[in-house]
Amino acid sequence: MLPLALRREEDFLEQRVDASNPPEEPHASLGSLLVSFLKLGASSFGGGMAAWTYREIVERRGWMTDENFLQTQTIAQILPGANPVNLAVYIGLKLRGLPGAIVATFAMVAPAFTVIILLSTVYRQLSAYPETHSVLRGLACVGIASTLTMGMKTARRLHGQTLPILIALSVFIMVGVLRWPLVPVVFASIPPSVLISYLLSRDKKHG
Amino acid sequence: MDDDKLLGLVLLCVPLSLVSFGGGQTIVASLQHQTVDVQHLLTSRQFTDLYAISRASPGPSTLIVALIGWGISGFWGAVIATLAIFIPSSALICIFGSWWQQHRLSPWGRAVERGLTPIAVGLIVAGGLAVSQSAGLSLFEIATTLAAAAFLTLTRVGPYPVLGTVGALYFCLSAAGKI
Repeated sequence: MLPLALRREEDFLEQRVDASNPPEEPHASLGSLLVSFLKLGASSFGGGMAAWTYREIVERRGWMTDENFLQTQTIAQILPGANPVNLAVYIGLKLRGLPGAIVATFAMVAPAFTVIILLSTVYRQLSAYPETHSVLRGLACVGIASTLTMGMKTARRLHGQTLPILIALSVFIMVGVLRWPLVPVVFASIPPSVLISYLLSRDKKHG
Repeated sequence: MDDDKLLGLVLLCVPLSLVSFGGGQTIVASLQHQTVDVQHLLTSRQFTDLYAISRASPGPSTLIVALIGWGISGFWGAVIATLAIFIPSSALICIFGSWWQQHRLSPWGRAVERGLTPIAVGLIVAGGLAVSQSAGLSLFEIATTLAAAAFLTLTRVGPYPVLGTVGALYFCLSAAGKI
């Protein structure tokens, strides 16, 4: 077995030779995928999943290089779906093909699924008490607050550019205020939004 | 009857899965509107409760659909709703992941990455508004929300201490008959 630094360099060289055919990733059995992702799924309290996943997949198991993981993370963020689930799908797929994707995704979701079902059972037992509903309303406020915070954080990536801000605003009005159906609004908004980002980045380059 | 409701939920989840850029928070506006106002699977009170449970639980906020599915037809309802929200987006990753990895550095690839951001921002804030309206927040609850948002923005404290504090506060106020 090569030292880690050398192995990384080798992967990197292979990638440069044939970018369309990423190098075979080392020794990830379906069983160890299951264990790793069950652990990750169970530690998914309070976010920070990408960091935990990095620690497990890159640092502890050595299944992926830094660079591969970074690319995987970007893919997971950009394509639709929950980030941690997307990470599991794509890492599983790269390491062990479709069976790997299924095992990793199942393992990532199962712990959270179990907890949420247990909590909802507790909720059903306690739903007759008025305090339960009050506490949940308080928690809903925090949920809304963290949604708005996330919206603001994401809005920073618009870098104060007028047209992208107008698109965000119009999507908000169409879906949030006018209650237009979300799916057609999104599909109709993607082409103009992508075109605008393309033109903006081109202008920046030329001007 | 339950089968019809479950089918309604599945037909709602599959397309939403494909546009859930950034995860569950982008689709919550539509989930609320469709399950409460259109399909009448839940009352607004139930939706607020389930939303709170899903946000206080670990894992992706998309799992609120598991709670809705559970309410319709128990364990298998929860499983089917979960599959309906995760399989379409996961299939997209399997099909387009590698292709995207190769093209994302091209000018158009970068434009797609950046072009999706304003849409996600609009959807996330719309989700916050939809849940607030559906819950019919009181002035005190609006103040709680703003205080929590300020806290989460200005400090590096995670969501769990904030959830714990607010939950305890609301429990005490409720037990004392103040809210």
